[in-house]
Parts: sequence; C-alpha cells; structure tokens
Amino acid sequence: MTAETIIQSLASGLLMGLLYGLIAAGLALIFGLMDVVNFAHGEFLMVAMYATFFLFSFFALDPLLSAPLVAAALFVFGALIYLLVIRFAMRTKANAGMVQIFSTFGLAIVMRGLAQYFFTPDYRSITHSWLGGKTVSIAGVFLPVPQLAGAAVSIAAFAALYFFIHSTDFGRALEATREDAGAVALVGIDKNRVFALGWGLGAALVGLAGAIMAIFFYVYPDVGASFALIAYVTVALGGFGSVFGAFAAGIIVGLVEAMTALILPPSLKAVGIYAVYLLVVFIRPRGLFGSL
Amino acid sequence: MAVTRRDVLLGATATAALMPLAARADTPDVAIGIIYPFSGSSAQIGVDAKNAFETAADIINKNYDFDLPLARGEGLPGLGGAKVRLVYADHQADPQTGRAEAERLITQEKVCAVVGTYQSAVAVTVSQTCERYQVPFMSADNSSPSLHRRGLKYYFRAAPHDEMFSKAMFDFFDDMKKKGTKIDTLSLFHEDTIFGTDSANAQLKLAKERGYKVVADIKYRANSPSLSAEVQQLKAANADVLMPSSYTTDGILLIKTMSELGYKPPMIVAQDAGFSEQALYDAVGDKLEGVISRGSFSLDLAQKRPMVGKINAMFKQRSGKDFNDYSSRQFMGLIVIADAINRAKSTDGDKIREALVATDMPGDVTIMPWSRVKFDSMGQNEFADPVLLQYVGKKFVTIFPKQAAIADAMWPMK
Repeated sequence: MTAETIIQSLASGLLMGLLYGLIAAGLALIFGLMDVVNFAHGEFLMVAMYATFFLFSFFALDPLLSAPLVAAALFVFGALIYLLVIRFAMRTKANAGMVQIFSTFGLAIVMRGLAQYFFTPDYRSITHSWLGGKTVSIAGVFLPVPQLAGAAVSIAAFAALYFFIHSTDFGRALEATREDAGAVALVGIDKNRVFALGWGLGAALVGLAGAIMAIFFYVYPDVGASFALIAYVTVALGGFGSVFGAFAAGIIVGLVEAMTALILPPSLKAVGIYAVYLLVVFIRPRGLFGSL
Repeated sequence: MAVTRRDVLLGATATAALMPLAARADTPDVAIGIIYPFSGSSAQIGVDAKNAFETAADIINKNYDFDLPLARGEGLPGLGGAKVRLVYADHQADPQTGRAEAERLITQEKVCAVVGTYQSAVAVTVSQTCERYQVPFMSADNSSPSLHRRGLKYYFRAAPHDEMFSKAMFDFFDDMKKKGTKIDTLSLFHEDTIFGTDSANAQLKLAKERGYKVVADIKYRANSPSLSAEVQQLKAANADVLMPSSYTTDGILLIKTMSELGYKPPMIVAQDAGFSEQALYDAVGDKLEGVISRGSFSLDLAQKRPMVGKINAMFKQRSGKDFNDYSSRQFMGLIVIADAINRAKSTDGDKIREALVATDMPGDVTIMPWSRVKFDSMGQNEFADPVLLQYVGKKFVTIFPKQAAIADAMWPMK
C-alpha cells in the first residue's frame, strides 16, 4: 500500500462523504423538526434523479442548470407530501410512531412502484454533461469533477442552511416549532405551515443531491435504497435532529468507508461504518452532536 | 316458431365458430411456471425475460415454419394439441421470496414445470422447492457451476455454466499468447453473491492450472453506492486483463469509476451478466470499445441459420431489443422443457423428468451455437459450447472459438 493509494482513498472518501452528508441533511432536518423518520427519503432521491434525467433527455438541460429547478420541484413535492399524507398520519392519537413509520414506508413502496410502472425498471444514465467523465489529477491523485462539484454544492448548501436557520425569521420559527409545537401556536405561528415548509426544505436538499448524483450515477426505481441506508446511519451517527451533525457524520462515514476498504476485503467495507456507529452508540447514545 | 333459413344458417355459423373452443376445452392448457425478478433492482431482466418467453410460447402454440421443436403445428401434439400457458411469479431477486413463490406456483397454480431465475442465488432455493414437489426445474440462464452439483434429480440446465464459460476465456488467452500477445497477469473483480463467487473460483482455478498470475482478486458488495476504493486496488495491480463478474448496476459504476480514476486496462474480458445488457452500453458504451464478454448466444448465427434472424425479429417486435445472452437462453429454456413435456405426453413430474433425461436435440434445431442438447446425470448439458463476443462499433461480433468466429480479436481494447 503506497502513500498515493492512501491519499487517493482519503480524497475519494471525503468527496463521497460530503455527498452522503448532503443526502442525509434533509432527513435530519425533518426528524429534528417533528420527530418523523422519513422512510421514503431514498425515493425522494430517486425522484430527483429521474427529474434531472428527464430534464436532460427532453430539454437537453445540463444537470448543473437543472439542479435549482429540481430542488425547487422537490420543495413543492415535499410540502405536498406533508400536506397530503404526513399531516394526516400525525393526527392519530394512538400509536402515532407506528402510523408515521407505516405511512412513510408505504409512501416509499408506492413511489417505487409508480416509478417502475411509468419509467420502466431500466437503468438510465446521463450520457454527456459538462462535468460528466471529467477528472482533475493532482500529483497522481485523481479527483472526479462531478464529485468535486457535489462536494462544493454540499458545503454551500450547509452554509446556506446554517445562515437560514440562525439568521432568518423563518429559521427561528422552525427552531421554535421544533422546541415546542404547541406553544408556537399561541404566538401566532402556523404549525402546519412551518412543517410543510420544513418538509419542502428537506426534500429540496435531497433534490440538490439527486441532481448532482445523476451526473455520475445510474438511475433506476430502486436507486435510493442503498443511499437511504447510509443516510439513516449518518443521521444516527451525527445525532438525531442535528443538521450539522449530519454534515460531520457524512464526512466520517465517507472516510471510514474508504479506509475500511483499504484494510479489509472491499465486500466488507460497510463493516467499518457500522463499527464506528456501534462505538458511538455505546459511548454516546444520542449521537455525536445530538441534543435529544 | 317458424325456423327460417336464416336461423339455420346463423345457428350453423355459431356452432362452427364455437367448435374450436369446445375442442380446446377438451385438451386443458399446460401450465408452466416462469419465476423471475419483476420488481427490485433487476426488474428489467424480468420484463425482457417475459418477452422472450412469450415469443417462445407463441411459436409453440401457433404454426410457424421453423426448424425448431414444436414450431410446426399448434400446441403440443403429444398432449392432443394442448396449448402452453405461462404463469408468472416475481421472486424480487430474493432467495426466500423465490422459495415461497415456487411453492405457490406448484401447489396453487398447478404448474407442471418451472423455468427461472436469472440470479443463481435464487435458483438454489427454487430448485430445492421443485425437488421436494418432484417438479422439473429448468435453469434457463443461471450460470453458477455449483447449481447442478447438488445431487438434485429434477434440476436441468441446457445452457453452459461459468466453468465452461471461463474455460473458453482461458482457451482464448492461450490462443492469443501463442500469437504473441502479452497476457501474464489477471485481475478478478466479482460481486459477493453466488454468481460472482462461483465465477471467481472457477477463474482462480483455471488461472493456476494454466500459469496465469492473479494480481488482484477483489470481491465487492453488490449494488455498492461507490466503487472508488475497489477501482484503486485494480489500478494499483494493473493487470494485463481485467475480468469482472458483475450485474448491470455495478458494471456501469465500475466503468464510470475506472474512467474517473484514470484506469484503463489493456483488455476487459467480462463474465457476461451486466456486460450483456443494453443499459450498460447505453450508459458507458463509449468507454468500452473492444470489451470482450462471454456469451451463449450470438446474432452472427443468423448468417448461417436464417431462422435465428426471424425469431429475433419476433422478439424485437415485442421488446424493442435484439436477443441477448439472457433472452436467448430464456427462450431456449422454454422450448427444451416444452419439448420434453410433449414427448412425455403427460404433465406428471416424473414422466417429464424421464423425457428430459432422454432429450437429444441437435444443435442446428436451436437458436444457439451449441452442438446439441443432451443432459448428463446431473442435469447439465455439456454440449452447450460458449462463445466470446467483442463489442466493436456498437455491436457484438463473435471472435472465439474459431468455428463460430467471424472476426479476429482486436487487442488491446481502445
């Protein structure tokens, strides 16, 4: 194992990790806001990737240009999902947790089925784009341009999110609703509106991730499953409800995954991620940055 | 009521129209179970398979002038012209679902034979279930060599397995070496289910026997979100030939990651699977000019056997695609089992098994490059000769073995 291999692994891991963080951000945001784990998170990613793919095939729109459009579309989609599904799931008095799990899980199955019905289960790819297939090489270390763009978008999105939550009225309303959804109603904040916007924002973040990923990943109805699993681990590792925990945990997951593959056979590379997760659960059960 | 001439005529016409229906009711349909992934990550395989089986059933049930068993005449003559009816089941690429669905096909749908399954891991459980109910299982397109070595009496495979495929690859390497091509080192890259593992084991064994050095043997997790660590190890090993055993998703990601990390081996010789799928070439075909994949089918055969081209056209009408390595084997799987049911003159599992054991079909009445279909005591057809195909100018040309080749291999790949 040469120094070059190790640096290349770390670089690839870091880039992938920033993307994992971006994918997990929406999940963490929604959970932090209303204690609902969105089991359809991977399917949101799938929808975003298909949207990017279709914008490319029908309008020849480059994924970089369509990313804001896809994020905006996913914002609307997320808000609608809240208003049409989640809102009702949260009204139940008995066993609310189970009802929420089943409704988001059911949503995932419906979305996957619809995608297979309408888009066929074939694997689609964006064949040529501005960034696709381009690579920069620094001293023998190769950095794929699409992943670099993904990392940049991830950092920018988290910075914007930080500003948004800490410096705007809506961000403060979000925080307040998170802390006490009952009390905010007394000061004139519409809980449903805040939740709907929260879902929209969470979906928009995953939409951004999906648009960038469509540059270098194939798209098919089940594409979300393997990324969603990593997103759940990332959120749990970073601490449930902590959006910035997800950012840090995403990087950790990416690096640990890359390093594990250097030491163990690559088929076991997920072992490293779960080992770190287990360690955190033992030592700090609420996750690295969790406040719950 | 006066019976007019018109009434008589109407009655006669109606009776005549109904006659075939009545006759059909006397010979019940023969139900054959088709178990494939129709949902999940390999659902497209199931969709294509369905088209292949429908094409085969169409040829059996209607009258076609092909030199293929059961093509001429309608239905199965051995069973009074009974029509073949296909009953589909979705195993979702999951061995346990496969077991349950096979059981449902046999006990509820009363199928007399089962054809499957694409994933070898699912074929394991489906064939065990068939064995328990003494219903023949036709392994149409599974290629793991361990499948027929489990002592099952009702397991049959007309197509080659991975040891036969891998042997063809190494025969080809030996041949190329004789011509002066440098092939000393190999990198194996395989997924972690039974298909990838069996394939790599066969390749490791052959490499050792024939004196090739395996410089990297990388087993990776199927459907990985990222393969960059794996590709780095391949790049560091820098073998003369890269030999992937991957399904479509991982194949696409492998080739993309290789180009991102600046790795280009002199040659890729693939164990089929993803490397036979149009989706992979749609996605990364521009990076694969000259890739070699093993196969059990080649459209080049249509030049020698016009029937192959005509049947391919029928399949293309349904699916919009040409026959590939999988759809052709699926098609033949149904023909072979239907031929056995016809000769058994019965839908009884034991009688069909006996007929399968007695199968001896010359290669030129199939659509495959096989020399014949004849099962050994383990249910494997040892006469299913594989071919090697090279992807040149957006299509596959047969380059090996010599008797089937229409072009010389291009080495290295571009």
